[in-house]
Amino acid sequence: MDTTTVPRNARPSSRVRTLLAVGAVGATALALAAAAATPLNPAPRQVKAATAAADGKRTLTVAVSQSVDSLSPFLAQRLVSTTVHRLIYENLTNYDTKDNHAIPGLATKWEPSPDKLTWTYTIRENSRWSDGKQATAEDAAWTFNTMMKDEGAATANGSFVANFKKVTAPTPTRLVIELKKPQATMAALDVPILPRHEWEKVGDFSKFNNDKKFPVVGNGPFVLTDYKVDQYVKFRPNQKFWRGAPKFDELVLKYYKDGDAAVAALRKGEVSFAANLTPAQAASLAASRNIKVNDAPGRRFYALATNPGARSKDGKKFGDGHPALLNPKVRQALFAATDRRTIVDKVFQGHAVEGEGYIPPRFSAYHWKPTAGQKIAYDPEKAAALLDEAGYKKNSAGKRVGKDGRPLDFRILCHAIDPNDKAVGKYLQEWWGDLGIGLKVDCRDNVSDPWLAGEYDLAFDGWSVNPDPDFVLSIHTCAALPSTPKDTGATDNFICDKKFDELYAKQTTEYDAAKRAGLVKQMQSRLYDTGYMNVMAYPNALEAYRTDQIKAITTMPESGGNIWGQDGYWSWWSAVPADGGDTSGESGSSTGLVIGIGAAVVLAAALGAFVAMRRRSTAEDRE
Amino acid sequence: MTAPAATAAQTASALARARRRSSVARFWRSYRTHRAGLFGLCALAVIALVALAAPLLAGSDVQSVTNAPGAALESPSAEFPLGTDQFGRSLLGLLVWGARISLTVGLMAAALSVAIGTLVGIVAGHFGGWFSTLIMRITDWFLVMPTLVLAIVLATVMSRSVWTVILAIGVTTWPTTARLVRAQTLAVESRPYIERATALGGGHGHIMTRHVLPNVMPLVLAQTTLGISYAILTEATLAFLGLGDPDVVSWGGMLQDAREAGAVSSGHWWYLAPPGIAIALVALAFTLCGRAVESVLNPKLGVSNR
Repeated sequence: MDTTTVPRNARPSSRVRTLLAVGAVGATALALAAAAATPLNPAPRQVKAATAAADGKRTLTVAVSQSVDSLSPFLAQRLVSTTVHRLIYENLTNYDTKDNHAIPGLATKWEPSPDKLTWTYTIRENSRWSDGKQATAEDAAWTFNTMMKDEGAATANGSFVANFKKVTAPTPTRLVIELKKPQATMAALDVPILPRHEWEKVGDFSKFNNDKKFPVVGNGPFVLTDYKVDQYVKFRPNQKFWRGAPKFDELVLKYYKDGDAAVAALRKGEVSFAANLTPAQAASLAASRNIKVNDAPGRRFYALATNPGARSKDGKKFGDGHPALLNPKVRQALFAATDRRTIVDKVFQGHAVEGEGYIPPRFSAYHWKPTAGQKIAYDPEKAAALLDEAGYKKNSAGKRVGKDGRPLDFRILCHAIDPNDKAVGKYLQEWWGDLGIGLKVDCRDNVSDPWLAGEYDLAFDGWSVNPDPDFVLSIHTCAALPSTPKDTGATDNFICDKKFDELYAKQTTEYDAAKRAGLVKQMQSRLYDTGYMNVMAYPNALEAYRTDQIKAITTMPESGGNIWGQDGYWSWWSAVPADGGDTSGESGSSTGLVIGIGAAVVLAAALGAFVAMRRRSTAEDRE
Repeated sequence: MTAPAATAAQTASALARARRRSSVARFWRSYRTHRAGLFGLCALAVIALVALAAPLLAGSDVQSVTNAPGAALESPSAEFPLGTDQFGRSLLGLLVWGARISLTVGLMAAALSVAIGTLVGIVAGHFGGWFSTLIMRITDWFLVMPTLVLAIVLATVMSRSVWTVILAIGVTTWPTTARLVRAQTLAVESRPYIERATALGGGHGHIMTRHVLPNVMPLVLAQTTLGISYAILTEATLAFLGLGDPDVVSWGGMLQDAREAGAVSSGHWWYLAPPGIAIALVALAFTLCGRAVESVLNPKLGVSNR
């Protein structure tokens, strides 16, 4: 997805060649000097320090790297986009920062009928759209009805309304939702409510990205005022927000495609917050003055997905997954030969928790652990025995070969931008190589194409889990498969398991929280046994902010939680600016930087010599 | 008269051998006078030796992550003179192993590029006319294409391997050689002995391979030596951009790994500086050699640059 542009030189002479040589060394040198120069974004430094700005405007700048997929809540699926939507729109309900229970959002109250098939929401009267109009039940009803009628509008959150029969707004403060079957997620509908009067004019929801007219009309704690692709997203606080206005005067999500550049900007005070740090960055930032590193249990799982034979709802099989992976023993053997402890210790350097069930331990109500008898522990000998049993014996060359003569050579899809994928891939190659299994780590900028086409054997997979697990469970049901091989389904990994589906249907209609949690745990147990999704670790959220710019900020959960990508707008809404004082930041005089620049200078000098000699020596050849 | 004839034949082949020997000796005498060229040659010899002896010097399991001896990102110590990477592997060992890939890719990509360039140049120069015009326009088209961008596109669409990188560099950098060789071919073919060879019945193939090729070889040699340093830099750039083979250790790949580990912003200079300096040194050494060879073979350049 990343595109690299290099300035074109149009002059067709031998100089092109030398210029390109400059580019070649330049790239190397740039990397070394990245920390010093933040070359990716030569934008003016008007947001230098939150409190030191001349006009007294206090800006909260957040470094982000993920591109926005769409600013339309009907389409947006990436974490950065859904975070933006949390900030500018209200959901019916929100999550409490302490224990994730549902608390009022746009709705102040919600209650089911005795048969639990009709839900009535009371919509608050003190929520206004940023253009001054009142936010009403009418808007909510329109949002849900649009998603039910228009397939384009159901792209991102369709799973929430699939079971809706009818949505009406009898009065401006009453919203009534009738269901076909009971639905457990009615107090956790993660759907942003949109202003009807603005969105009615939109023609095709599958193409509208909500990024042409600013400010974007919303009723969340912030108002989106400006957006430039991969440069910034800007917000101003909604002064009339019913829960209270945010305390900063401006919020900017600023793009740093390079993690090192983001950290350098944080050190200099150009940004107040940076997420997705590497362990080395976190360690060095922890030693810096005025910077607090937040190492919190994450809401993500990091898994090894195996291709269970891609297929669509119409029964057609497609893709080219390795047939050996259809054998559960092979899948178990692969996982038994994966040392999760080492992955946590070496790759995440302790900033993760060893993987077990599908849902991270942070959501304790739903977190599940395999029983002693069920657990696939790290045991290469058992893995070898399992493979022997499955009929994949080692041949004379030490490779495992099936009865059909096809060797166990797998490909694993890896995200080229995620260093963890590459690192784990290296370990897997060695662990599995000892067993006689070949592994090709196939790192791509865009993994979606082969993934959706089913053209992979294994893949590194991960999802952020919401307090309500319905969504992350729904992506492994048969109903999520694409309708035909050409379509895109909501499915994560083409899993279609009857037992899992039965349990999913049961938990959806179960209103008793304890019973539902039991069912969710059974589902995880089933998923674990099938071996299609093997969770290796739950990575921590490693993030850091400047204490001289942000005095206080709410994490989620409140004690020891994360800041970026919360289930709600709590962090940025609650952030308190620090009082004046010196915010000039560090001068960036760390030894590493100096020596890095030194190396860059050596390179540049060598290049200079190279170019000079080249030019002189080819003086006769040049035209 | 038979005996002298036999002697003459013997003498002819012996003469040819002797002439070759003496021209090599003359070349070496002249090369020796270029101090920079000698320095480059020595540096190359050392680096090549290190690369060849990598299994002895660094051990063969230096690339293994599961048997990594150290902790993550250790600073330089007696055990690890250049520190360790994020997996705990010795960076000195990786640097030594990386020399292999950098040299291999550099040599092979330059050879490929020069081979294509020579073929195109000789064919275009020999046949001339509309055919030459057509080929040279194609060459021009490749010449104005930004090499790095084209190489990135090629490396992206093909599978990630060392051969892809070699191919990507090779097929994007040949036009300069093609133009040089074509010019030289035209110069050679205008000499009277080519006309004589044609009159004696020499065909196109004979003239191109037996007369033109030996005469453009010196130029090709110099071009190759200079091309290698460019190829090494491009390889490092591609690897740094994440387009190299992730399974092998290369210097550009080490820089990329360092960036991914956050070594720049966390101040782990020992991870960044050595591969960068190594790339610069090897590129410099090849350039020095190439320049010396060029000025030996082309007396017009030799005087001022010594």
